Amino acid sequence: MTQLPPLVFCGRDPMSGKVCSSSSNNVMQARRAVEQLRVEANMERIKISIAASQLVQYCEEHGRSDPLLTGIATSANPFKDKKSCVLL
Amino acid sequence: MGEMEQLRKEAESLKDQISAARKAVHDVTLPEIVSGTAVVGRVQLKTRKTLRGHLAKIYAMHWGTDSKLCVSASQDGKLIVWDSYTTNKVHAIPLKSSWVMTCAYAPSGNMVACGGLDNMCSIYNLKGKDGNVKVMRELAAHTGYLSCCRFLNDSEIITSSGDCTCALWDIETGTQKTIFSGHMGDCMSLAVSHDFNMFISGACDYTAKLWDIREGACRQTFGGHESDINAIGFFPNGNAVLTGSDDGTCKMYDLRADQELITYQDPSIMCGVTSLAPSLSGRLILAGYDDFNCNIWDSLKAERVGVLAGHDNRVSCIGVTPDGMAACTGSWDSFLKIWN
Repeated sequence: MTQLPPLVFCGRDPMSGKVCSSSSNNVMQARRAVEQLRVEANMERIKISIAASQLVQYCEEHGRSDPLLTGIATSANPFKDKKSCVLL
Repeated sequence: MGEMEQLRKEAESLKDQISAARKAVHDVTLPEIVSGTAVVGRVQLKTRKTLRGHLAKIYAMHWGTDSKLCVSASQDGKLIVWDSYTTNKVHAIPLKSSWVMTCAYAPSGNMVACGGLDNMCSIYNLKGKDGNVKVMRELAAHTGYLSCCRFLNDSEIITSSGDCTCALWDIETGTQKTIFSGHMGDCMSLAVSHDFNMFISGACDYTAKLWDIREGACRQTFGGHESDINAIGFFPNGNAVLTGSDDGTCKMYDLRADQELITYQDPSIMCGVTSLAPSLSGRLILAGYDDFNCNIWDSLKAERVGVLAGHDNRVSCIGVTPDGMAACTGSWDSFLKIWN
């Protein structure tokens, strides 16, 4: 169960950084919090079955070209020192 | 009924609405969808390079877009730009304030930025005419420490701060174009979307927020963590968010379903997550912890598939190159290591 933050923060005002103790400040904060919740409540959500399967599909499509997953040949690894023979 | 009581009731009702809407699209879980998928095989990455030069704890690192140069910040008061292929130091930039907590490389490669307990974001021009690296701008307005910064381009940068806000700055004028407020605790970390239109922030109020950069608005808030969120990043497809917390877990939230898909946790892990980065495809998540290790997770199966062990102190930062070829870890032991 996801938890949402408290409605009013009795302490530092996030906007000004000042400690807020006046009640009018609390009402303003509460109004802003309610408006924000309205915005978030109104969003269109898609089903997890769709969202998650697209995530899986993305991993599958790009997994073959994911160097940390597939491993890197020494010759193609810019971080590996390539030993070379010198003819004296 | 007083206005406060009315607002409180409205807020509760809206929270219930959001919960219900999230439940309504919760038709399946990620574990159920991948029940037939095999866990990736054991991932064993080796240290290919060790970047030595810092004299104190490293707090942050960031790769340049060329996947070769990277910048690191240490409380020895230096920003170092490294050529990770050769381990050479391209620039060693002395800082006015040694209390640095974050650094960033501009996508163009022309600038780097850093900040920390000085509450400022300092921008350095790497391509100055006489070859010297100088401070180009000092962005000052935050009333708390600078926890993270990321360039959008050479003229705009986004910052997150201990004053509970994030901000979009115009580097040229040195002013804040937009302030993003809403978090109820110190903002600890931020990440910008690939299309540069959105960013996400993680904070000490245990939530992550998705922000519309141009509208200056918070679009979504994700809860569930039981402690501060220290690290945040976008899943490579741009539709999900990864978070790492002091509660010892990482989580993945889907943006379009507006909820948590899965938690990456293990009962043997008793310490906080400091940093995280997904691999190129997103199938692997590398996460740095307070216990000196970095765990590699299979992002779909939520199982640990590898460990990066090699640092002698906390892993404070981690980054995967844009081309996915390597991971870099930075530690309080003063070293950076390149792994693949």
